[in-house]
Amino acid sequence: MSTYEVAHLDELERFPVDDEGLTWRPVRRRLGIEAFGCNAYTAEKAGDRVVEEHSEQGGHEELYFVAAGHATFTLGEEEVDAPAGTFVFAAPGTKRGAHATEPGTTILALGAKPGVPHEISKWEAIFVAFGHLRNGDEAAGRTELEAALAEYPGEWQGFFNAACFESLTGNRDQALAHLRHAIELDPKAKEWAAKDTDFDWLRDDPEFPS
Amino acid sequence: MSAESRAAHMSDFEIGTPEGRRWAQVRATFGISAFGVNAWTADGPDRIVINEHDETGPRPHEELYFVVNGHAVFTINGEEVDAPAGTFVFVRDPAAKRKAVAKEAETTVLAVGGPRGQAFEPVEWERGAQALRHWETKDWEAAMAELSELHGEHPDDARILYNLACAESLAGKRKDALGHLRQSVQLDGTFAELAADDSDFDPIRDDPEFSAIAGQADTGSTSS
Repeated sequence: MSTYEVAHLDELERFPVDDEGLTWRPVRRRLGIEAFGCNAYTAEKAGDRVVEEHSEQGGHEELYFVAAGHATFTLGEEEVDAPAGTFVFAAPGTKRGAHATEPGTTILALGAKPGVPHEISKWEAIFVAFGHLRNGDEAAGRTELEAALAEYPGEWQGFFNAACFESLTGNRDQALAHLRHAIELDPKAKEWAAKDTDFDWLRDDPEFPS
Repeated sequence: MSAESRAAHMSDFEIGTPEGRRWAQVRATFGISAFGVNAWTADGPDRIVINEHDETGPRPHEELYFVVNGHAVFTINGEEVDAPAGTFVFVRDPAAKRKAVAKEAETTVLAVGGPRGQAFEPVEWERGAQALRHWETKDWEAAMAELSELHGEHPDDARILYNLACAESLAGKRKDALGHLRQSVQLDGTFAELAADDSDFDPIRDDPEFSAIAGQADTGSTSS
């Protein structure tokens, strides 16, 4: 392991996350940080989402820093104007989200859970896999996915997400195989599959678990 | 008890420090308890924006620096790293000596830290350093009162003693300043060296007792 790592914001990967323009730029993963979480999010246009609406139910404290541009946060019920240089602290459980009000707005998100050693999300590679898929790079996505399955062979969520990935890319046999395996690991995967639109085209297949 | 959610612009809570940089006490301002975070802005070019230090100690820290504005040059274990705005510098090895100097005025570096594999705990230096806000207003009485109280709570904290000695020197309290500087140095020899270049001690620099103590050194941690 090297003593230090250097990267410029412009060199970070860009993974589209949703249909609202949110783009994830992994920082923790790029630099190998283990003590806390760190990601950047960029909005190309004014009006794009730059922080996903969520509540950090897992107990993470999160600090957002507007590194460039200008954003409007919602913090609970409150709307907060956040030009470059603004810090927004969100305690665990507080609903938060942000939209850019200027093109090229970039926000750094830092997070960890108080009182315990930081744990890196098991599913970071899954998010990357779907990011590659949204970028049109199915092969790179599948490589990430396979690495995640190999690392966590006993976790149903990995196989469930792999089934979604294969369904979205039209691979019927692989999708059904992964889904069957996810259900073997935990029957609740069947309930999740019943309501996940990623499987809509497969739902009438006689082999689709129902 | 968890801290409350809220927002603030960095300029709303920065304080000036004697060495020509401003400090935004981000962690303390928001009551963050899961990781350390501070921001430092150099007033002019060639100013130190991150003091030379390492992150060893009971809970050695990984530390991430992000150059928000301006342009900095980091030196990590003697290697120079050019860091224009937008650069992340992640120092994985807590023992690595690192510092950053601004190439441009108003260079801001965000510093984030925490221990790998252990829960984060705020460290002592931050508490003592908060009294540095009184340097901007030259309110030495307030600085001495705050640091004396902290010294009472943490009698073996060499940094609190050092800053108390600085305030006493600037307030013309030669005897108190020399006594507290000596105690600080007995606890941590690096403060003797730091005192040699610290203009806060100019009022007592001609004292033979000061000369017996002083030398050269680095200063403390940055993120947490």
